[in-house]
Amino acid sequence: MIPLRLSAVADAEQPYVAKLRTPPNSGLNPHDTLYLDGDEFGASFAGPHGLVTLEGVPPDELDGDVVVVDPATGRAERLLRAASAHNTLLVTERCDQLCVMCSQPPKKTHHDRFAQFELACLLAERGQVIGISGGEPTLYKEELLGMIERVLEARDDLAFHVLTNAQHFTDADITRLRDPRFQRVTWGVPLYAADAPLHDHIVGKDGAFRQLEDGFVRLMLSGARVELRTVLLADNVDALQDLARYVAARLRFIAAWSIMQLEHIGFARNRWRHLYVDHANRFAPIAAALDIAQLHGLPVRLFNFPRCTVPENYRHLAAASISDWKRKYAPACADCREQRDCTGFFAWHPDEALNEVQPL
Amino acid sequence: MGAELFGEFPPDRDFAYTDIRTRQLADGAHLFVNEAGRFFQAEDAFAARFRENLLSLSDDAFLERHGFAFTGNDRLGAASHNYAIAERLTAPGALDYFILVPTLRCNLDCSYCQVSRVDQARSGFDWSEETLSAVLAIIDHLPTDCIKIEFQGGEPTLRPDLMRAVIARCERFAHKQFVICTNLQVLNDDIFALLDRDDLFVSTSLDGDALTHERQRTRSPERTARFFTNLRAVIDRYGPRKVSALPTIDAASPPDIDALIDSFVTHGLHSIFLRPINFQGFARKRHRESREQDDSWRSYHERFVRRLIERNWQDRSRVLEETYLSICLRRIFQPGRERHVDLRNPNPVGEDYIVVDYDGTVYPTDEARMLSRSGVIDLAIGDVWQGWQTEARDMLNRHVSNLDDPTCRTCTYQAFCGRDLIDDIARYGRIDLPRHDTEFCRRHLHLFDFLFRLLYEDDPAVRYSLSRWLRLDGTLTEFGGVFA
Repeated sequence: MIPLRLSAVADAEQPYVAKLRTPPNSGLNPHDTLYLDGDEFGASFAGPHGLVTLEGVPPDELDGDVVVVDPATGRAERLLRAASAHNTLLVTERCDQLCVMCSQPPKKTHHDRFAQFELACLLAERGQVIGISGGEPTLYKEELLGMIERVLEARDDLAFHVLTNAQHFTDADITRLRDPRFQRVTWGVPLYAADAPLHDHIVGKDGAFRQLEDGFVRLMLSGARVELRTVLLADNVDALQDLARYVAARLRFIAAWSIMQLEHIGFARNRWRHLYVDHANRFAPIAAALDIAQLHGLPVRLFNFPRCTVPENYRHLAAASISDWKRKYAPACADCREQRDCTGFFAWHPDEALNEVQPL
Repeated sequence: MGAELFGEFPPDRDFAYTDIRTRQLADGAHLFVNEAGRFFQAEDAFAARFRENLLSLSDDAFLERHGFAFTGNDRLGAASHNYAIAERLTAPGALDYFILVPTLRCNLDCSYCQVSRVDQARSGFDWSEETLSAVLAIIDHLPTDCIKIEFQGGEPTLRPDLMRAVIARCERFAHKQFVICTNLQVLNDDIFALLDRDDLFVSTSLDGDALTHERQRTRSPERTARFFTNLRAVIDRYGPRKVSALPTIDAASPPDIDALIDSFVTHGLHSIFLRPINFQGFARKRHRESREQDDSWRSYHERFVRRLIERNWQDRSRVLEETYLSICLRRIFQPGRERHVDLRNPNPVGEDYIVVDYDGTVYPTDEARMLSRSGVIDLAIGDVWQGWQTEARDMLNRHVSNLDDPTCRTCTYQAFCGRDLIDDIARYGRIDLPRHDTEFCRRHLHLFDFLFRLLYEDDPAVRYSLSRWLRLDGTLTEFGGVFA
């Protein structure tokens, strides 16, 4: 796995955000923190906040990274890695849902880091799509929307992808979200079933489905880009066809529909046996949903489905969706000619499942 | 005050039907479609209750469940319904599609030439230097990053230099596609140099076997042989994806269906756009009967499609399709997927595509150019020097929507269909005939009737072909709902 947190020794007294630069890119921006020297185990940089030494990553891999250095804890966090298309800012760990398979179980407390995140976004490499996740980011809607507006105002090359349960938008937000800047924001919104009680059960919140429908109306009326996300579960696999019909009828405005295989982490780890659908041996209900989605021209994709586990005619829908820093492959995958396009497995996926890969 | 007197009216009592139209497809089978293009089939009993305005509470519940009726508090349902209606309407983008006629000269003299032509030895029928410069200037000023150019004629391969000049000017576009519409009589190094481009395609006519093709087009054994040799050469060198070929069918004596299909399959061509002789250009004089297609044409078309379905079921290695039927089919389910400018609603002219004739005149469509050429009516909307944002264009554009037509407004297929002003003018010299009296309407009524019969047919071979034509990865067992 690619390390996201590094040991750091720094001069400064307060945490600060820095953009790291190594030659030949040094000196492009006066706010950059420039490479001094180092080796394959780490490197020293100097910038407006003084000296910092980072360990564990060779300096050329840090070029362009935006990090938060915390001298008190001796840590540096790589918030926006230059080489990654999967940077995500975790803006809060609070959530008003409690999904049965939550990969990032919520906490009660909130530690506000919006100021740091905003600064980091302003320093991001050109053209990045910055992910925002939680918890539920829109619990801090004012801070969130304000940050997005200011960053996109200053940086017309950046875009955001925000994971949200979409239940905290109000009618008053419709006009605000119609601002052209929000055309560079994609809202990743989970919907698990067309049946309200089933969806509410999965997200652990009564009335969630009803509130979500209100949220969808507001997003539709504001012209928002929505990526619908459906995690595959034992609870909803047989309801997937109904969901496809629902999406085709009521959510035609979505920009994408991602059907996602379960991640073996968080709550799902202990409930794996009850939640996981072995799609390789039970693809029919998924295929039926895909057929309906395609019939109605919905832009549907499969996330976290290794290519060899998907029947050949649907394989092109399986995207390389797992973030680079948490992706692994089985030993046998080395011989597969489709590995380059394959999502692989989450690093924390049970190893026994890896033995079932069939190199293509 | 009203609210205080009567109290809050419970919003969920506020119930409204969408605009549902119905049409009988067969004995005991009635199709119901609303303005958003949602549909279901029902039996006589439901159809009678619907007609008599006697729908039961459970009927209403069915309609509400499937998006044919809404209660007032279902904001998402109402918004989605409006979205679905809007999604089916054409929102023409910026101009990015050109049909260019660099020369009107041609080296063939087909019996039903649709595009009008002059003998290849004549002068004064090619773009002048000034015309070329004006076209290039228009291309230079396009705001889009994509462009599609079709070279028509006449026979455009008589002027490869003009095609080269236009193509060279398009290098700045991120997405570009060129099509040369050619009779493939000339295939020299100049033409091969153009064809070597991956973004350039060939469109040609292939009327069936050599005998038919010769009778209708080439008219001499040498020219026929040259055509088939050149077609083979192009396909051998670039693969069948390089070429699209269209057969023109003489409805009075249509070719044997399997022979016609085979003449395409032997060239690796699987998409067949079955066209009757177009009542345009010289065909107006030489083929008077082509003004209307009768039931024999429609029955030939159905038999042709049925045969494609059988052959697809027998040989799964490739998918044969009738191009236009597939376009209509995809319009039922996948609005916005096609950019077929002959079937859309509204169908504005002079917006996202134009035709530039050999003399720099701008026409809204190729058919309009032919009509003008034939002396029937001048449908020019401008020229490459003064532009085409003219009163003539605006006048045409006031009549391009089927939403305004009283017959279309009651038609079951309105959401899927379109409007073709030029076709009406071509056939009848007027645009205000009752829709049902026009060929455009009868043709599409038949196509959609046929499609919906296929969609509800209980036959795995039919479902297999429909699924392929809809570009599905799997094969569906049902395409539409049934009232139950």
